[in-house]
Amino acid sequence: MIILTVRTFSLLSLEYATEGIRSMITAQIDVSGLAKRIGDVEAVRDATFVAAPGRVTGFLGPNGAGKSTTLRMLLGLARPDAGTALIGGRPYTELPDPTGTVGAVLDLAGAHPAMTARGHLRSYCALGGHAVGRAEQVAELTGMTDYLDRRVGGFSTGMRQRLSLATALLGDPGVLVLDEPSNGLDPAGIVWLRTFLREFAADGGTVLISSHVLTELQYGIDDLVLIDRGRTTWTGPLSEFTEHGTSLEAAFLELTSDGASPLPTGTEGIRA
Amino acid sequence: MNRLLRGETAKLFATRLPLWSLVTAALCGGGLTGLLSLIGPENATPPLPGLDTAEGVGIVVGMSGLLLFVPALIGTIAVTGEYRHRTIGTTFLAAPRRGRVLVAKLVVYGALGVAYGLVSSLFAGLAVITGAAVQGVELGVPLASLTALLARLAFAAAVYMVLGVAIGALARNQLLAIGIVLGYFYFLEHILMIVPGVNVIHPFLPGGATAALTDFTFLSDAIAEQLPIAAASTTSPLVGALVLLGYAALAAWLAIAVPLRRDLR
Repeated sequence: MIILTVRTFSLLSLEYATEGIRSMITAQIDVSGLAKRIGDVEAVRDATFVAAPGRVTGFLGPNGAGKSTTLRMLLGLARPDAGTALIGGRPYTELPDPTGTVGAVLDLAGAHPAMTARGHLRSYCALGGHAVGRAEQVAELTGMTDYLDRRVGGFSTGMRQRLSLATALLGDPGVLVLDEPSNGLDPAGIVWLRTFLREFAADGGTVLISSHVLTELQYGIDDLVLIDRGRTTWTGPLSEFTEHGTSLEAAFLELTSDGASPLPTGTEGIRA
Repeated sequence: MNRLLRGETAKLFATRLPLWSLVTAALCGGGLTGLLSLIGPENATPPLPGLDTAEGVGIVVGMSGLLLFVPALIGTIAVTGEYRHRTIGTTFLAAPRRGRVLVAKLVVYGALGVAYGLVSSLFAGLAVITGAAVQGVELGVPLASLTALLARLAFAAAVYMVLGVAIGALARNQLLAIGIVLGYFYFLEHILMIVPGVNVIHPFLPGGATAALTDFTFLSDAIAEQLPIAAASTTSPLVGALVLLGYAALAAWLAIAVPLRRDLR
């Protein structure tokens, strides 16, 4: 009886997965030698990493490490001084259908407080050239159907984050780039988001998610990119990062500061 | 391009801005002109020519031209709102070719400016006709001349809204942009108007060009009466219109070209 139930479940999820693959165009993110100076600060010095389809890649670093600047360059919102950031082999600004390829949740993503969520979603649907009905579909996907006709001005931070994610999904993209998306989400919201992203990747999607909170990424990601003072200091599967018998926390501290917290031997070898 | 126009239109109509713009237009067009028409310009201090003279009608209707900074402010507030509410990032993500986004904004707000101008002029026209009727005098100009003057005012309102959008896109910061618009139209132009020597360029400043377009020399004449300087001259309405269009084109070009290279923070 139990076996039967399991089989039914896996069949269902397989169906869901193939449906997902059919509808999305997957693409790899390739960032290479990215550098950007903002004023006197070298915000990003050398960011190099890959985020692959079918995997959730965590982009982890302390505050001010250059995560947001790197993501903005990836999304064509800021110009790099050097290096390239490609999505499916092209810079974001040269994608034929940008929001239909990449969905982005920016740390600063906002919404006009006088608009209703529906008005906001429909506006960006029109701007991105997506089918009108998508506004209601993404609202359902992100669990905000009941809030559609409320004005955004009255939204909590958590609801704003959901609206941001809904906006990112309007074009049914195969790539999701999220800058600190858990900010303002309650624990249930964080679990929901993690599950959502895992399913997205399971359907073949590429997910790049930044955070400065280690524990937030610990359970939800496949690959890890560490960035510190503008440099990517470690990239690879999360399992390799932690298999050296050290805790993720200790390794993180070691790789993102001047050796403030010494790491057990054996971790040296994985330094980039 | 159609997609961007649809997107910008959807954004505009997702707020109550179009409604409030037109209500404001009705108040600005009908308000000052209506008040002055009902009181009767000849009862004002100092007394102005009555509504039964062409000059009187020109002054009373032209008064609404003093409120042209309002459409400019509406355009400025609308565009800087994208920066203030941090939606510009989402907009540029959907349309990475930023120049086109700005073109779409200028077109959509240009259309709103035309609507603003038409409503404002309609109410100014109704106000002056009602005023003349209440006072029992014959309007000093034929209806055709009044309509032509009102059409020129409507044109000016549309140009000012486009100017406002461009200033907003360049300044980005809402308070700064509002400061620029108000500071210029309320303060700087009036200063330039009374500086001897400098005031010869006044006809070619936006305010001077507007005065020429709408035949409204009331302010510069009043200043000349009070001060020992020659009145700032005006050019013909056609030159005024061309000068205004030139400013709008220059501002629009800058607004389209400059954001292309800027980084978003």
